[in-house]
Amino acid sequence: MSDPAAGPTMEAPALRPPSMPHAIGIWVLRIAAALAIPIVGFLLLTFTFQFLRDEDANRLLVVGVAIVVGVVGVFALYWAMNRVVDLLPERFREGVRPWVFVGPALVILSVFLLYPVINTVMISLQDAHGLEFVGLDNYGFVFTDESMLRAIRNTAGWVIIVPLFGVGIGLAFATLADRLHRGEGVAKSMIFLPMAISFVGASVTWRLIYSYRPSGFGTNIGLLNGVMQGLGQEPVSWLSLQPWNNLFLMVIMIWIQTGFAMVVLSAAIKSIPDEIVEAARIDGASEWQVFRRILVPSIWPTIVVVTTYMVINSLKIFDIVFVMGNAESDGTEVIAERMIRWFFLLNNDGRGAAIAVVLFIAIIPVMVWNIRRFREEEAIR
Amino acid sequence: MKRLRMIVPVVVLVMVAAACAGDDDTTEPAGSGTGTGATDFQPDTGNVNLLSAAEPEEAGAYQEIFDELINADASYHAEVESAGNFEEQFQIRAEGGTLDVAAVPQPGAIPGLVDAGSLVSLEDLGFDIDALSAMLGESFVELGEYNGAHYGIPTNINLKSMVWYPKAAFDDAGYTVPETWDDLIALSDQIVADGGTPWCVGFQSEGSTGWPATDWMEDIMLRTAGGDVYDQWYKHEIPFNDESVLNAINTFGDVMFADGYVLGGAEATPDVPFGDAPLPMFQDPPGCWLHRQASFINAFFPTDTVAGEDYDWFPLPPIDQEGTLYAGELTVVGTAGNRAEVVDFLNQFIDQEVQCAMGGVQASSRISPNVEVGPECYANAILADASVILTESLSSGTGRFDASDLMPAEVGSGSFWSGMVDYMKSGPDSAQTVLDDIEASWPAA
Repeated sequence: MSDPAAGPTMEAPALRPPSMPHAIGIWVLRIAAALAIPIVGFLLLTFTFQFLRDEDANRLLVVGVAIVVGVVGVFALYWAMNRVVDLLPERFREGVRPWVFVGPALVILSVFLLYPVINTVMISLQDAHGLEFVGLDNYGFVFTDESMLRAIRNTAGWVIIVPLFGVGIGLAFATLADRLHRGEGVAKSMIFLPMAISFVGASVTWRLIYSYRPSGFGTNIGLLNGVMQGLGQEPVSWLSLQPWNNLFLMVIMIWIQTGFAMVVLSAAIKSIPDEIVEAARIDGASEWQVFRRILVPSIWPTIVVVTTYMVINSLKIFDIVFVMGNAESDGTEVIAERMIRWFFLLNNDGRGAAIAVVLFIAIIPVMVWNIRRFREEEAIR
Repeated sequence: MKRLRMIVPVVVLVMVAAACAGDDDTTEPAGSGTGTGATDFQPDTGNVNLLSAAEPEEAGAYQEIFDELINADASYHAEVESAGNFEEQFQIRAEGGTLDVAAVPQPGAIPGLVDAGSLVSLEDLGFDIDALSAMLGESFVELGEYNGAHYGIPTNINLKSMVWYPKAAFDDAGYTVPETWDDLIALSDQIVADGGTPWCVGFQSEGSTGWPATDWMEDIMLRTAGGDVYDQWYKHEIPFNDESVLNAINTFGDVMFADGYVLGGAEATPDVPFGDAPLPMFQDPPGCWLHRQASFINAFFPTDTVAGEDYDWFPLPPIDQEGTLYAGELTVVGTAGNRAEVVDFLNQFIDQEVQCAMGGVQASSRISPNVEVGPECYANAILADASVILTESLSSGTGRFDASDLMPAEVGSGSFWSGMVDYMKSGPDSAQTVLDDIEASWPAA
């Protein structure tokens, strides 16, 4: 692309400190530039192309026009704004130009991410229907309600146990599969397969494994109860066996996520240079020492990333608990499940939002830790 | 880090702009909803959407009826939308101002949405409440009343106080249908003495586990304390751990915890799916003889069983009082439905012709609250008999709506369900604790 605007960038910027009016002026221009494209785009989309919303219009035509208008329109908008910046006095020009291009991303980030966060905090300070401010009452509920306390306790269990076993088993499989001379692909595919199933689908499958029928209501079709009866034991109602039913639900998530951990860790193991491992073996290191002192430290960053991913996923766990029965009477509540329940089923926006904020705050340390680690690694490089 | 600081002012500015825009959005519908006259309609759009919790199969059958009886002559197109996640969809659309019409099975949701300005009252739409009460039963229409205005038109009703039994084996064994509660207990004892198990009970319903037990409680509450106390109960004018409720739960417990009364024992009932619960009735010899469940349950019976031959039902007998428990739907209008064509649709929807046709749908066991709809409209004799009992109870005033659907959701779809599960698992001595816990969960007014 031959851009006529590329020319003036070569000129050296003035070295003297900018004067006060100048600083204000450039900030006004920057903000205007950042907002210009989103606002113009929004207005264009709102007041033109009404026919795109016509339900009776030819679908193909609508899709075609939408693509052309979208692609060409966005390109034209950026191009036009770029030309507008060229018209600015020279001393402003290069200070403003980046904002034209960063602006839309910032606006979208604000509207779809920051605004909802702030709005959720606001709602969490209001009553069930957002009519009156109630201060911290909703947070009081979150930390005193018996069911919420169980949810927090259970979620803590999920966050510790699922990543521990998910990553642990995944790492073991990845290490062992790496030694296989044949069939590594098949073995890993078997472990990875559950990853392709949605949480809800997996839960429905596991319902059959945990299925229980009291005596008089037909034969037990559940796998586990089949085993129990084969061993001459009474069938057990697994899903209402408190508090162990929490563990039985966690098993489902571990089953799904182990494959993911294994694949990622396996790739990391394969990238360890053979020389290092061989050198260690020549120096007389045992297999366990190789694993403990070479393999794990080499792939530690990957382990951290996989663990973080699993921790965050476990914090957000909802589907499995929701599908597997009445969480409140089974004692299997988790935070995200409580949030959906209070917000959408019990229609208490205030409490739902307060739970959401608590969940959000609980995730922050994990994110911060992850970003900090990432920075450290960047620094080492 | 420095770059980050430069972004902040822009972000803040955008957020302020977004927050202002949000405020504008919320005030607008409230302003337009304050109109008082019945003529304050929005322009017609040519479409009326009825959001419904009906299964897709049922919704398809209703759509055919609408197409034939309403859409053929109307200037608009009425459509039935079957929502699998009705409660969420209803809430989202009502609050978002995109709801035309919804058939709501839980009238307890109405007051909250009225407070939020999300529903249009029947008075504002120009309906004559007295005429509706005469046609659909005053007590049922009153369920949609809030702050002096009415918000829901009853469009569907089903009978809950039904006890099902395996007729062929029942007759062979020489048992007779009980007329009183004492007869029912005597029959249960007789069955135990004959080596059988009288009751099949199942309360498992996945995320809603416990609701069939609340129906038992309501049926017994209505029959021990009577309609007036029952009304005070669901309105929370008496506490949930009141003496009358304790009496009801103990009467319930007398059946559930009696030796040999319940197949698998009371503590197993929360693990029996409610749809599987009646199945042992159809074993030979029957694994159980009695099953208390609403009119829809025969859809779960084995497909080769015939109503009136293999199975039949009798109304749950009175205890100290007469009473009939029912549930149903109140059809409400959202702010997007404040249109003349919606009013026309609703008038046709509750009319005898459409209601009669809907009663004939095989896929559902739908009974009309319209007293003009006669027993001949229904798909089978069971529904026809149930409709007679319901019509009588609506006109005599002994009928009461499912209390758990009228209570705040925190209780009616929460602590009441889980409380009943606790009661089954912890045994008869836990009655007081269970009621205290439910009382504690009642939201502050």
